[in-house]
Amino acid sequence: MNVGDTLALKKSDLAMFFASLAHEMRLVAPKRRFGGDVIFDVVESPTQIAWDYGHDIYPPKRFVLPHYEDLFGYRADGEVRFEDLGEAPMQAIVGIRSCDVTAIRFQEKFFSSQIVDPYFKARSDNTVLFSLVCNTPPKKECFCICCDAGPYLDSGFDVELTDLGDRLLYRIGSEKGLKASEPGGHMLAPADGEDRAERKRIELEADSLFATEAYLAKAILFISADEVPDKIWEELGSTCFRCAACTNLCPVCTCYTVDDRREDDGSCVRCRSWDSCQYAGFTREASDHNPRPTFGSRVQRRFYHKASYQYITRDGRHGCVGCGRCVSACLTKLDLPSVVKRIRRSMEEYLQPLPSGEVRP
Amino acid sequence: MTLTAARPRNMWGVTDNPSPNLYIPMVAIVDEIIDETPDTKTFRLSFQDKEYAKTFDWEPGQFVEVTVFGAGEAPIGFASSPLEKSFFELTIVDRGKVTRAMHRLRKGDKVGIRGPLGNCWPLEEMKGRDVLIVSGGCGLAPLRPAILQMLADRASYGDFWLLYGARTPADRDFVYDLESWAARDDMHLLQTVDVPDDKWNDNVGVVTILFDKMRLNASTAVALICGPPIMIKFATIGLQRMGFTDDRIVMSLERYMKCGVGKCGHCCVNHVYLCTEGPVFTYKDLLALPELKL
Repeated sequence: MNVGDTLALKKSDLAMFFASLAHEMRLVAPKRRFGGDVIFDVVESPTQIAWDYGHDIYPPKRFVLPHYEDLFGYRADGEVRFEDLGEAPMQAIVGIRSCDVTAIRFQEKFFSSQIVDPYFKARSDNTVLFSLVCNTPPKKECFCICCDAGPYLDSGFDVELTDLGDRLLYRIGSEKGLKASEPGGHMLAPADGEDRAERKRIELEADSLFATEAYLAKAILFISADEVPDKIWEELGSTCFRCAACTNLCPVCTCYTVDDRREDDGSCVRCRSWDSCQYAGFTREASDHNPRPTFGSRVQRRFYHKASYQYITRDGRHGCVGCGRCVSACLTKLDLPSVVKRIRRSMEEYLQPLPSGEVRP
Repeated sequence: MTLTAARPRNMWGVTDNPSPNLYIPMVAIVDEIIDETPDTKTFRLSFQDKEYAKTFDWEPGQFVEVTVFGAGEAPIGFASSPLEKSFFELTIVDRGKVTRAMHRLRKGDKVGIRGPLGNCWPLEEMKGRDVLIVSGGCGLAPLRPAILQMLADRASYGDFWLLYGARTPADRDFVYDLESWAARDDMHLLQTVDVPDDKWNDNVGVVTILFDKMRLNASTAVALICGPPIMIKFATIGLQRMGFTDDRIVMSLERYMKCGVGKCGHCCVNHVYLCTEGPVFTYKDLLALPELKL
């Protein structure tokens, strides 16, 4: 077995294969809960993996960047003592979609650029991503195809699985993926020409099934050049509830806040938790001065981070993977495809000559 | 020659870290507390680990994240002379949760320090030029290391002007320094207050009124600015009128900040992280950031 190999895994061996892997690391996978909801969670047995889950609303990013994470504890009575509380369990995220794989790779790059974040790095180093190609129809909100993040990947996965009916196509994408393939390696057989042809057919079919489109290019131009007037941003922002569902459910968003929590025994724990640029308090200073005081300025901030050349240059790609979760979550359509469309349309209207024949500055 | 903000020799997390990880601070001890104004104190600190103290090297304009144990962490600029190796000072206004807790500390108490963070004033590139420093209120604190370092190497710089504005005479920080600087004949110090008291017999008004009372070669001089946003705005306009080009107007910015290492996202202005790429910028650099609406 080598990195780059394309293999096949019989579905009848699937549970056994991941049971072998479970001896080495914990399995995080789509898990069906009471009532039928599916969410990524730690599974005790591979039989709990809901392979047919479709898409989930809560991204698996919380297994590399937890919603709430203890960084270190300290006691400051007398001698100051620190205790690193960082945890980085060995884990395989099984069944993760291509968009979420792309998002985690984006975060890995961000957390390692310039200065390396030790907590994120430890977690992501110990995480193996088994991505699952979307050959079931995408949900109606999905637009990964516009964001170079799915429905299947060329690279970025550790292992990629494609459902071929009675078997899975099994591609090894990295050293980490190769190592995680070893425990159940005897169950993997070389893929034949028919398997590859079937995969090609699935790719073409998957590409044709999308209902949502996000033509980002024009919006990126307007946003990067700061040509969208404040008036349009304020109109967009005027319907924001400040609930932060968009950024919390975004698999790419990484912003966090830091707090010191007092424990009953007198010690303290410094912890970090997800924060959102959509909250007014995100930039409010101790003097009460807020450099981003309006809903419009905060919505502008979010889209500048998601779709500007300045950030594309920094991060190597734009900050959206097209998972469609903001489309499902936002009550007032401040999701990426809608906003991109509205910026395009508003700018078209805004740039029309005025009735007097004058052109707006 | 185009001036840009300078890269520092040392930056926490980029150059060697003494701490096991970059979120865990080093322990420092409060050696002395100096009352500056009714709401401002200067804390003189030294590291508990004396070996580390010897290697602790920072430059004017940089800052630290100071942990008040039990309260949290806040970013504060260095306020002492970088030539002083046995201690460093932080001048802190009692404003928020952490700074309030800081004000309750006493001599001998311990705090956590992560730093130095951020970039620095381009003092090396400014050599041979006239220097104009414009500061308002507690904005003198992050400039004080630059002033002290330049005065220690006075011959390397041209004319030296320091303009300082405060709300009232009692709100002036570093009065002991201001007195000794006023007595020097190799620099000019102009002060103004918004609201004078009975004893004040100097200028009254905002700091920009002092621009009319000075004379320097604006075609090569460099201006360093720090103060409240409104002061920065009008000082910049005044300097441009005087003939300063945008790359010779250098300022230190502040934002709400958490991690100090470019990860938490709070201090971002457009695509620039103030904590790692700032806090010092030339006005020219800032013009590339539309969010500032300059």
